[in-house]
Amino acid sequence: MKYNLTGILAFLLTFPVMAQTEEQPYDPDTEIGIVEKLDEYVPDDIYIIDTEGERVNLVSLLDKPTALAIVYYRCPGICSPFMTSISEVADRSNLVLGEDYQILTVSFDPTEGTNLSRTNQNSYHMLIDKEFDPDGWQFFTTDSINSKRLTDAVGFNYKRQGLDFLHTSAMIFLSDEGKITRYLHGTYFLPMDLKLAVVETSEGKSGPSMSRLLSYCYSYDPAGQGYVFNVTKVAGTVILFIAVLLFLVLIFKPKRKATN
Amino acid sequence: MSETTSSKHVSFLQYKGKYKGILGWILSTDHKRVGLLYLYTMLVFFSLAAILGLLMKLQLIAPGYTIMGPQTYNAMFTVHGIIMIFIIVVPGLPAVFGNFFLPIMIGAKDVAFPRLNLASWWIYVIGILVVLTSQFVGGWPDTGWTFYAPYSFQTPANVLPALFGAFILGFSSILTGINFVVTVHRMRAPGMSWFKMPLFPWTLYATAWVQILATPVIGITLLLTVMERVLGVGVFDPALGGDPILYQHLFWIYSHPAVYIMILPGMGAISEILPVFSQKRIYGYKAIVLSSLAIAFVGYFVWGHHMFTSGMSGRALYAFSFLTFIVAIPSAIKVFNWVSTMYKGSLNLQTPFYWATSFIFVFMIGGLTGLVLGSLATNVHVHDTHFVVAHFHFIVFGGTGFSFMAALHYWFPKMFGRMYDANWANTGWAVFFSGFLTLYLPMFYLGIQGMPRRYYDYLPEFHGGNIISSLGAILMIAGAMIIIVNLVRSSRHGQKTSDKNPWGGRTLEWETDTPPTLENWDEIPNVTEEPYEYK
Repeated sequence: MKYNLTGILAFLLTFPVMAQTEEQPYDPDTEIGIVEKLDEYVPDDIYIIDTEGERVNLVSLLDKPTALAIVYYRCPGICSPFMTSISEVADRSNLVLGEDYQILTVSFDPTEGTNLSRTNQNSYHMLIDKEFDPDGWQFFTTDSINSKRLTDAVGFNYKRQGLDFLHTSAMIFLSDEGKITRYLHGTYFLPMDLKLAVVETSEGKSGPSMSRLLSYCYSYDPAGQGYVFNVTKVAGTVILFIAVLLFLVLIFKPKRKATN
Repeated sequence: MSETTSSKHVSFLQYKGKYKGILGWILSTDHKRVGLLYLYTMLVFFSLAAILGLLMKLQLIAPGYTIMGPQTYNAMFTVHGIIMIFIIVVPGLPAVFGNFFLPIMIGAKDVAFPRLNLASWWIYVIGILVVLTSQFVGGWPDTGWTFYAPYSFQTPANVLPALFGAFILGFSSILTGINFVVTVHRMRAPGMSWFKMPLFPWTLYATAWVQILATPVIGITLLLTVMERVLGVGVFDPALGGDPILYQHLFWIYSHPAVYIMILPGMGAISEILPVFSQKRIYGYKAIVLSSLAIAFVGYFVWGHHMFTSGMSGRALYAFSFLTFIVAIPSAIKVFNWVSTMYKGSLNLQTPFYWATSFIFVFMIGGLTGLVLGSLATNVHVHDTHFVVAHFHFIVFGGTGFSFMAALHYWFPKMFGRMYDANWANTGWAVFFSGFLTLYLPMFYLGIQGMPRRYYDYLPEFHGGNIISSLGAILMIAGAMIIIVNLVRSSRHGQKTSDKNPWGGRTLEWETDTPPTLENWDEIPNVTEEPYEYK
């Protein structure tokens, strides 16, 4: 019993050590993903390039609640479903795009030019059946300095891999003053998510993300997944083997006679 | 009918062993004391988690900030879920009534491994302490009880002890499962063939296999998540080549069968209660046995229905949807059997019967709405909405909770040698049942309207449903308080009874003393009849 208690105490004492690990501050330099910067402001001197090739001050565009979507137009992964979802939710929502809120799509890849932003703008506008002000959803490109400043300001961390990028997706809501009020993570949104975010943004409120189901580009390290499946296969086989063994022993090993 | 206990027999409650006082309980290997230890532990934590649930419903009584902010709300639903699932309903009926009654019902003196049984309870307590560590060191976890990757290893909240605690609790579950399987195989009384075994032990047996086979999967998964957080091994983290969807697969490979760990013993208890209070042989004994085994088996293959919107091939989606519909069949068979058992029975309207019939009612609602979720098209519409929350509370709370209360009121006189106040018990049931329906039925409607789960706030159009639901929560908690106070009070001051068989049951536990003696039997009984031979 003494040994049991010692074991239990030793076990419980290890937990402060684990908790120590927990208390370390969250690492903002996560390679890929989004580090939320709620209540912070995007700098008022970030310039982006519209479909006509004009440099525009980002903050000067913020005259209503704004959903910022950071993508790159050549993306073979999640950007396309992400923008399709934006068009779907804009279509389904009872908010009026261009009146109640606006969407700004900005490419973080400085090599992309206005021809790409223009074609994408035309394509995604066509997906919206409802009538809306075309200025309500504008598409932009950036140069490398402004791309870096914008992505740093909103906590959008990505990594280049060959010609493409590893990144995730989220609609980032900005108030008129450029305050970051909410992140809607993922590639799928409910009209209610949008409405709640727009309503709160218009009131200048902010809140942590409620739905944090993240999607990532999956062009990364397929070998790693092979290793993962081996772990599950081995564990599964061992569990089944032990269970079958237990069952066979119970069935075939003769019963000892019960004594009263 | 009534036989009285001989005065020379000392009940397990009065028995003086090697240790005295509280040590006589926490170091006792008597299966009945271990069962009661689980009962008391669960009662404490159920009360705590129920209060958290009530606070969440009070937050939702009006849109916006009412009594807590979003981070507190996230922590509340996480802790509520972890306690209710891992500490209450997974151990649930097997840990309390299985420990107490399995040996008695099969005519044994104890479980096969009494020390292992006590060790299971200790491991359970250690698991709880570790989970509790997360509440006091570094802030409450906020991932939800599902610990979905990648958030569970990215959140700055204190998830690690909660994960590790759930991992330890799993060991307790596995050891109990092994104990029960061996007990059923090895320790049945002479003459008790497999098909003369009562239905509650049958469901415990089926459940025990699920515990043995499925629990290691969640253990490994939780451990991998711990490793992901501490060491960054890259199993689930896409930035390191891992796959967060793999986490969901592994999690649900356990957690869906776990629903059957929760519900099967409840079905067993209901199958005991209904013949007694109908004074009629159970309808379709073998059908109930086989459907229990079928539920345990098919239950392994339906986990994908939790992930219809997570990204799977179309073929996998159809297969999981089809299998989900298949698993509804054995559940429906049981419902038909229970209803047929009551048909033309001599119904004795007592508290356990009320709980048992209301169990069937809520289980039917939970089961049928499960088909809405198992069907692909409707699932996409209501996925992650309040509809899902309502469905699983009807199954997990309605199913396990109601059957637990039915079992507790049914076996209470045998366990404590005292009778509860029937009027208060019936009042408690009526208030609780009304509160339960008022709380959870509007949530189906809210879900169909589009209100997502796990939000501390909502749009004004959801206000009406939330007010009703929150008032239902208050009513239900009032009912729970009446029930708990009545039972706790009655266990100490209720009318004493030594009647071996107050309800007129035919299974072996009604042939032992009330309360049972240390080893249950002076002589191991010889079983000649089938378990539900009513005239």
